[in-house]
Amino acid sequence: MQNKDNLKRCNKCQLPETYETIEFDSKGGCNICASATFKNAKIDWEDRKKQLDKIIEENRNKYSYDCIIPFSGGKDSVFTLNYLIKEYKIKPLVVRFNHGFIRKTVQDNVHTTLKKLGVDFIDFTPNWKIVKKVMLEAFKRKTDFCWHCHTGIYSYPIRVALMYKVPLIFYGEPLGEFSNYYDYESDKIDLENEEKFLMLRTLGITAEDMHGMINKSDDPVDIRDLSPYTYPDTEELKKLKYNPVCLGSFIPWDHHKNTKLIKKELGWKNDELEGVPDELNEHGEKIECFMQGTRDYVKYLKRGYSRVSQINSLNVRNNRMTPEEAKKSNEKFDGRKPPSMEVFLEYVGLTEEEFNQIIDKTVIPPNKPDYKSNKIAKKTRDFDDWYRENNKKK
Amino acid sequence: MIGIIDYGLGNLSSVLNAFKRINDKEDEVEVFSNSEEIKNYSKIILPGVGSFKAGMDLLNNRNWVPEIKNYVETGKPLLGICLGMQLLFSKSEEEGLSNGLNLISGTVNKMKIDKNLKLPHVGWNNLINKKKHPLLENIKEEIDFYFVHSYSCVPDKMEDIKAEFFYGKNFTACVGRENVFGTQFHPEKSMPSGMVLLKNFIDWKA
Amino acid sequence: MLKKRIIPVLLLQDGRMVKGKKFKDYVDTGNPISQVKIYTSQYTDELMFIDIQATVNSRKTLLNIISNSAKESQMPFSVGGGIKSLSDIREILAAGADKVLINTSAFENYDFIKKAVKKFGSQAIILGIDYKYNNEINQNRVWTHSGTTQTEAEPFELSKIYQDLNVGEIMLNSIDRDGMMKGYDIELGSKMSKTLEIPVILCGGGGNFNHLVEVFNKTEVAATACGSLFHFGDNSPMRARSHLKNQKILMRSIK
Repeated sequence: MQNKDNLKRCNKCQLPETYETIEFDSKGGCNICASATFKNAKIDWEDRKKQLDKIIEENRNKYSYDCIIPFSGGKDSVFTLNYLIKEYKIKPLVVRFNHGFIRKTVQDNVHTTLKKLGVDFIDFTPNWKIVKKVMLEAFKRKTDFCWHCHTGIYSYPIRVALMYKVPLIFYGEPLGEFSNYYDYESDKIDLENEEKFLMLRTLGITAEDMHGMINKSDDPVDIRDLSPYTYPDTEELKKLKYNPVCLGSFIPWDHHKNTKLIKKELGWKNDELEGVPDELNEHGEKIECFMQGTRDYVKYLKRGYSRVSQINSLNVRNNRMTPEEAKKSNEKFDGRKPPSMEVFLEYVGLTEEEFNQIIDKTVIPPNKPDYKSNKIAKKTRDFDDWYRENNKKK
Repeated sequence: MIGIIDYGLGNLSSVLNAFKRINDKEDEVEVFSNSEEIKNYSKIILPGVGSFKAGMDLLNNRNWVPEIKNYVETGKPLLGICLGMQLLFSKSEEEGLSNGLNLISGTVNKMKIDKNLKLPHVGWNNLINKKKHPLLENIKEEIDFYFVHSYSCVPDKMEDIKAEFFYGKNFTACVGRENVFGTQFHPEKSMPSGMVLLKNFIDWKA
Repeated sequence: MLKKRIIPVLLLQDGRMVKGKKFKDYVDTGNPISQVKIYTSQYTDELMFIDIQATVNSRKTLLNIISNSAKESQMPFSVGGGIKSLSDIREILAAGADKVLINTSAFENYDFIKKAVKKFGSQAIILGIDYKYNNEINQNRVWTHSGTTQTEAEPFELSKIYQDLNVGEIMLNSIDRDGMMKGYDIELGSKMSKTLEIPVILCGGGGNFNHLVEVFNKTEVAATACGSLFHFGDNSPMRARSHLKNQKILMRSIK
C-alpha cells in the first residue's frame, strides 16, 4: 500500500517502522501481529486459567492481604479488580500512584468502583515540585515527560507489597498487546518485575540517575525526594518471593469486552480523549490523564504516529477493522496538536519553540515532523478544570 | 556439586555468577584449584580464554591432564567453554603444535576465512545444523551466542559436531561425545539463552 | 552469520557517568551501577567503561564498579582509562572485565602491547585511537592523553602498525564528532575497516539510528560505540536492534 509519508508500515496493523520494538517479516507483516495471532490460536487458555486458580489459592488468607492491585481507575485496572473480586472473592489491597493529572470522570469512576466492590485503598501523590523538575529533565533528555508516572506506577505498588509483606501483585494488560518487549509466544507469563522496570519503565534513567541529574548546588534535591520512583531492593524482593504478574497472561485480554463489562457491572463511565474521535474510543483507552494528548502529540512529532494509529492497530489485530480502514482513519485523524500542550509548557516553563527544538534533536528517522501543521485537537469538556500554573513564557 | 576448574586461565567469576542467576543455584557450584579434588564433583566445567599452549602448560603443570581423563572415564559430565572446548581436542597448531586432552579426536586450527572477514571472530553469531542433544534443548537456531576466538576446532568424526556457526563457511560451534560437551561460544556471557544451556547442563544425566 | 554490534560507552568521572562534546563540557548521565543494570535488562550486546580521570582514586572506584557489574550483568565488557602496566590489565580482568582498551600507553610503548597480548591473549586487548582533523595540514592526527596531546601520527597508518601487534580489535574515536550527534566518520571508518584484517569499532558522532545504518551499510566496521545516542534521545539498545533489523542489517536475536 502506498503511504503518504515515507514511513514503512506493517501491511496489517499499519504501525510504522519508528514504533518501538516493531520488526517486519519478509511478507511485510510485523512481529506484534504475529504475537497476537499466536495469542488467539495457540495458547491453552484453560491451562492458563488453572495456573491462575493455583496462584490465587497459594496466596489466599496467608498474608495481610491476598494480593496488591495497582489501580488507576482506567479500564484495565478496574477490569482487573472487578474480575479478581468477582471470580475469586479475594481480599486485595488496592494501590494508586497518583501522577497528578487525574481527570474528573476517572476520579468518579474510582469512587464508584471502590464503593461498589468494597476494598481497602491506598492513594499516594508525590511532591509536585519534584514532579515538575523530573518532567522537564526527562523531556529534555528523552523527550518523554512521563518518567515520574512510568517509574511511580511500576515501583510504588511493589514497595507497598514489601511494606505489607504481600507477595502477589496483579497488573492487568500484558505488554504483548502492543509491543515485542514481551510476546505471547516466547514469554508465557508477563512479569512486571525489576528487569521489565529497568528495561522499559525507566526510559534508561533510574531514580539514582535522576537525582544526580537534577541535584544542583544552587538548587539541591534531597535524594529521598526520588524514593517514590525507586524500585525496591532486589534482595528484599527475593526474600518476599514477590510475584508481579499480569492478569492478561492468564485470561485472554479483550479491551472492548472488558470495557463493556465494567460499564455494565460497575457503571464505569467513558470520557473524551484529546485528539481521538469519540467513535474510535468506545473502549475508553487512556482517559485517566489530562496530559495524554500532549504525550501523544510528542510521539507524533518524534515517530510519525499517535494514539489513533495505536488504537486502530489493536482494532485490526482483533478483526474490528480492516488494514485499509485503519490506514484511512489514521491519515484522517492522527496527529492533532492538543490544547493540553499549553498546560504542559506552563508546568515546565518552556515556550513552544523550545519544545519543538528539544523534540527535533530526538526525532526517530526516517520520520520528518511538520511543526507547522494546523491540525488541532478539540478541547475536552473538562479542560477548564485542569490545574494551571499560569507560568506562561512569552 | 558442580566444579569449575581454576587452572590459572579464564574469567571464572563470570561462569560462577551465571550459575548464581539460574534459579539461585549458587550453592550447587564452586571453583576449585586442586586437581585431586576433581573426584568430589558430580559435574565439571573447564573454562578458559587465551592461547592453547598457555592453557595446556598450566594443565600439565598442575596435574590436571590425568585427573581430567580419569574423571571422564567414570562417565561424569564435563563441559568445556571456549578455550576449554579447544583443550578437549587432540592437538592445536597455535604457536607450534601442542597436544591437548585428546578427549575429542581432532585438531584446532587457525580459522581460514574470506579476505573481507575479520579475525578474531568476535561478537554474536547463531547456531546452525543443530543436532538433538540434551544441552541444546529449548534453544532456537536463530538465537545468537557470544564468540571471541581466532582458532576453531575440527573434529575427526562428523558425528561429534553438535552445532555449527557460519562465518564465510561452516565452523564447529559445539562438540559432544558421550559425557563430554564443548561450546566455542561463552554461554555465561550470552543471556538469556546461555542460561538455558547452563541449566540444561545442571539437569543433564549423561 | 556474525552480527553487527552496538556498544554503549560509559564514561566515569568522580563516581558518576558523564558525557561530553569533543571530550569536554561533561554532563552527568547517571549512576554507574544503575546504568549497568539498565543495559543488562536490555540485553545489550557489549558494554565499555572508560575512566576519564585515570587517577589512583578513580581506578579504585572503577574496579569497584567492574566487580559489581560483573555480579549484576552477564554481558561482555571492556574497560579503559589510564591502563599502563601488565598488573593494571591483570587487576581489571580479575575484577571481571573481558577486555581492556588501551590508548596512550599503546602509542608510547609497542613492547608493552606485545607483552600484554602474549600474556592475556589478543582477544583481551583493544587498542584505541583518538584523532582530530588538523585544518592546517588537511590531515587527521592522533591525539593522546584523553585528547590533550597532538602527535605526528596519522590514525590510518597507526592502525596498520597496531594490527601487527596482534591485538584483538581497534577502536577508532573521532574527537571532532564526539557528542555532536551528527554522524560517524564514514570515510575513515570505511578505509580502515576495509583494509585491516582485525575488527574495527567506530566511535564518535552517533546521534540517531540512521547514523548506525549508514556505518553498517557503507563500511566493514564490526561495531559502533555510542554514548550520546542513548543518553540524549528516546533510544535504547533493544530499539536500535529492531530498527537496524528492519533496515536489513544483521543484528543479534535474543528470542
